[in-house]
Amino acid sequence: MKQFALWLSTTSPSVYIQEHNSWTIPAIQSIHIVGIALVMGSVLMIDLRILGWAWVDQTLRQTTDRFGPWLTGALWLLLVTGILMVIGEPVRELVTLSFWLKMALVAIGAAVAIAFQRALRRHEQHWEDTLVHRRSIKSVAVMTFLIWICIIFLGRLIAYDHVWGSWSPSERQ
Amino acid sequence: MDIASLLEWLQETSLAVHIRDSLFAFPLIESTHVIGLTLVFGTIAIIDLRLLGLASTNRPFQRLAADTLKWTWVAFAVSALTGGLMFITNATVYYHNAYFRAKIALLALAALNMLVFEVTTRRSVAQWDRDASAPPLARVVAAASLVIWISVIVTGRMIGFTTTRATVAEPAPVEQNLEDLLGFPGESSPPAPAEESK
Repeated sequence: MKQFALWLSTTSPSVYIQEHNSWTIPAIQSIHIVGIALVMGSVLMIDLRILGWAWVDQTLRQTTDRFGPWLTGALWLLLVTGILMVIGEPVRELVTLSFWLKMALVAIGAAVAIAFQRALRRHEQHWEDTLVHRRSIKSVAVMTFLIWICIIFLGRLIAYDHVWGSWSPSERQ
Repeated sequence: MDIASLLEWLQETSLAVHIRDSLFAFPLIESTHVIGLTLVFGTIAIIDLRLLGLASTNRPFQRLAADTLKWTWVAFAVSALTGGLMFITNATVYYHNAYFRAKIALLALAALNMLVFEVTTRRSVAQWDRDASAPPLARVVAAASLVIWISVIVTGRMIGFTTTRATVAEPAPVEQNLEDLLGFPGESSPPAPAEESK
């Protein structure tokens, strides 16, 4: 992985970002934060609806129709800006434990978001009448929110991977 | 007590010293700050887009505000608390940092912007509660709010690139390790991201 990161850092898009890093890195990171903010707002509202704490005058489908597209759009924005950050600082990103833990959780978080929107469209009535009231579904909603909180933690910890001590690959070199 | 000695006192409080001396405290506080601010912006955007007539237009504004704004305030409290904790670890440096000052000014502007809305259009909300978009003044406030809060995020991010934490010895920046691996020890760093890549 380190070999790949080193090779990536010599490619021309990477060199461009590095040579202009006084504005490229903060700009990409800021857009990335706006993206995660849209995800957090959307996930919070859908989860609150599932818990019955907000949007109760709207059906689950109406709530998801309002926030689902913003959630999906923000995830794409995060993917693009995330890839740009990896290209710009390959070693800083790829040679950390935080990054890979984050990617594992992102895979889970995104899969849950996509699977939920699909399942709701397919079995709308069942979700509105039965599933949304189930305790297990409500726990999944809380879990999903916590996963996104952990994703933010791990994202920020990429800059502080030394907190993992000897588990961090960047500490071992 | 003048401001310089106040800042000195703040960063010598035992709380500030504890955070500085801990390997984990600052990163965890900063991460919590990001969680808070993403929820602040994420929920404010829901309100602003509703005022602009771009989203949630089928819901009365008051209902949307009741569902959303309490979470904004909780998240803002978390952000302010964690922001304060980060500030005291290096108060003098932050106080003199241009991006920090710009960010505080933008937060004041955001408050003023909100106040304008509260004392004008919000008072006549009964007349436009169900309209797809709010009256012109509220739309201006909403657009300004989005711009201001994105600027708060940008200036906030810039603070991390233009300040260095005072006492904690940071591990060698990754760029230097990369150089070692490439076999150019002793060369000055390539355009290292400002002072630290945070």
